[in-house]
Amino acid sequence: MRWLTLYLRSRRAPVALTAAAGCAVVMWSLWSAFSDSRTVGTPMVVLTVLLLVAALTATLGGPDDALELTAALPWPPRRVAHLVTAFLVVVALLLATLATGAHFGPAQLVVRDAGGLLGLTAFGAATIGTARAWFLPLGWTLAAVLFPRSEPVLGQILTWQAQPAASSVATGAAGLLGLGGLVAYAVAGPARRPPAEAAQATG
Amino acid sequence: MSRVFRIELRRSAALGSALILLVAGVLLLFFAEGIGFADGWMQLAMTQRLYLAVLWPLALAAGAWQARRERRSNVAELFASTPRPRAHRTVPTLGAMATAVACGYLLMGMSGGLWIIGTAEYLPVQVFVVTAVGVLALIAAVWLGLAVGRLLPWTATAPALGIAGLGLLLLIPGATRPRGWLALVFSPIYEMKMPDAYTTVPSRASVAQAVWLAALAGTAVLLFASSGWRLRVAALLPVVTGAALAVTLMPHQDRYVTDAIDPVARELVCAPGEPRVCVSRVHSGLLTEVRTQARAGLAILAKLPGAPTQADEDTTTYLPEDYPPWRGDVVLLRVEVGSNGHLDQTTVLADVVSGAFASPPRCEHTVGPAEKLAAAYWLLGREPVAGWANDPADLGTAVQLWQDLRQLPESEARARVAALRQAALTCSAGASLGTR
Repeated sequence: MRWLTLYLRSRRAPVALTAAAGCAVVMWSLWSAFSDSRTVGTPMVVLTVLLLVAALTATLGGPDDALELTAALPWPPRRVAHLVTAFLVVVALLLATLATGAHFGPAQLVVRDAGGLLGLTAFGAATIGTARAWFLPLGWTLAAVLFPRSEPVLGQILTWQAQPAASSVATGAAGLLGLGGLVAYAVAGPARRPPAEAAQATG
Repeated sequence: MSRVFRIELRRSAALGSALILLVAGVLLLFFAEGIGFADGWMQLAMTQRLYLAVLWPLALAAGAWQARRERRSNVAELFASTPRPRAHRTVPTLGAMATAVACGYLLMGMSGGLWIIGTAEYLPVQVFVVTAVGVLALIAAVWLGLAVGRLLPWTATAPALGIAGLGLLLLIPGATRPRGWLALVFSPIYEMKMPDAYTTVPSRASVAQAVWLAALAGTAVLLFASSGWRLRVAALLPVVTGAALAVTLMPHQDRYVTDAIDPVARELVCAPGEPRVCVSRVHSGLLTEVRTQARAGLAILAKLPGAPTQADEDTTTYLPEDYPPWRGDVVLLRVEVGSNGHLDQTTVLADVVSGAFASPPRCEHTVGPAEKLAAAYWLLGREPVAGWANDPADLGTAVQLWQDLRQLPESEARARVAALRQAALTCSAGASLGTR
């Protein structure tokens, strides 16, 4: 228990969780204030998922990852648990809105996009570092939300974030990204930063 | 100073931002919605502006990312202790990021330009104005990103700002409805979708947009370079003044850009020699391609009594509705540019021939599409195929009519086709080809 508290504090989890919840509340209020429809539009749902994932990205790395690695602990299961928890947080926050006046759904779409985007972010954290991990998810999702293609199949794969919930191709692409990111992050952990960046705990 | 600037270009996020904007821009330009800029330079400039929908939020995020650099490297306090005004340290960063996004945007334009350079000839000055407003929009975005990133120095600021930027662009048209001109002031992407051949962006709209974006950039600079609350409050002044000025400058008229037509682009340019063949100036690069096909079509039509002797591009626009002057001896041809920038060749010859069965504008008894096809392909001597504008359902009828015509003796069939042309010209078409 003590380990968990220290771990969460070193990853600045409380701030990230507050930020994620705050973002969800802001998006929910925006839709409630500006729209009469109870079902939130797909672009808004996808962007909200992206926002929550971005808010939780910072927890994927600690203040000094190299130092952290020297601890003789089995890291891979802990990293998997970290990602799964982040995934559950995003999904739970958005599915909670299904009980309110603005539905951020459908559930399959939220689960698919949260999984895929979190996997992509985790892959980024394992390869180019936590601080840069949001580059690809952001750029890719903005383009996909604005210009979704349903033809040909390659178009569906490349714009999987914005496909309808029933699209099995998009689900497959998201699953692949999610699983790939999970494995990469579990095995490699967050990419080491140059010493100058890791020198101090302020971030 | 220039040495510092060069170092900043290399050591900041400038190079990466330029590359990301270039790659994203080129991918969008060619793959997002097909190549919609094959007509000419104006179409390219407007399509680029449309794709600011993605590039603008990305520039915001790039700025916010760059603004956190000193904090990320844990040198913020060290730099703050240098005995120099903050403005000295911020100017190279502002310059480097502005140069980066401008280069990314212009290179994206060049990649599109290389695609159409062989066919696009008409280059109005508006193209440069529209592109300059696009560059200014990106500079304002990256500077605004720097300012916000400085005021809120967190890891999640940059992606959140990107998402907020996209949300803003998507919300502006809805939030200003029914006053579309307000959206035109504040959104650099509004009304840039699907530019047609003679479209343009009026200078007044560009000036109003430029005023607003420059004011936004000014505010961002003040916020980024400020070190006290007085300057931050003063930073509100440019943005408020700019918004007010831009709102007064923009004509209070909806669909201002959508309805704008460039009369020079629409003027006819003619090929030397007889018979006369003309296209609009915007398509003047395709004149030789059109000329060959159009003259072949006119030669086929010469079999008819009172045959047309000249082929012009059909420069009709529907928004607003405006027709070229009508003459019975001129065949009007709609010039459709394929995605490679060249004339869509497949049915041009048939389009010229079937153009002889068109009626004057606002005529109510026009010749049906199936009959036009049948008559045109009877003259051509082959089985009808559907053109770009034809309903597939009409093709079946057209083939049937064409076969009926072929059954008839040559002179009788020709008389019927000639009668069809007469009926079209006098706006009295009613009876079908088969039952004269």
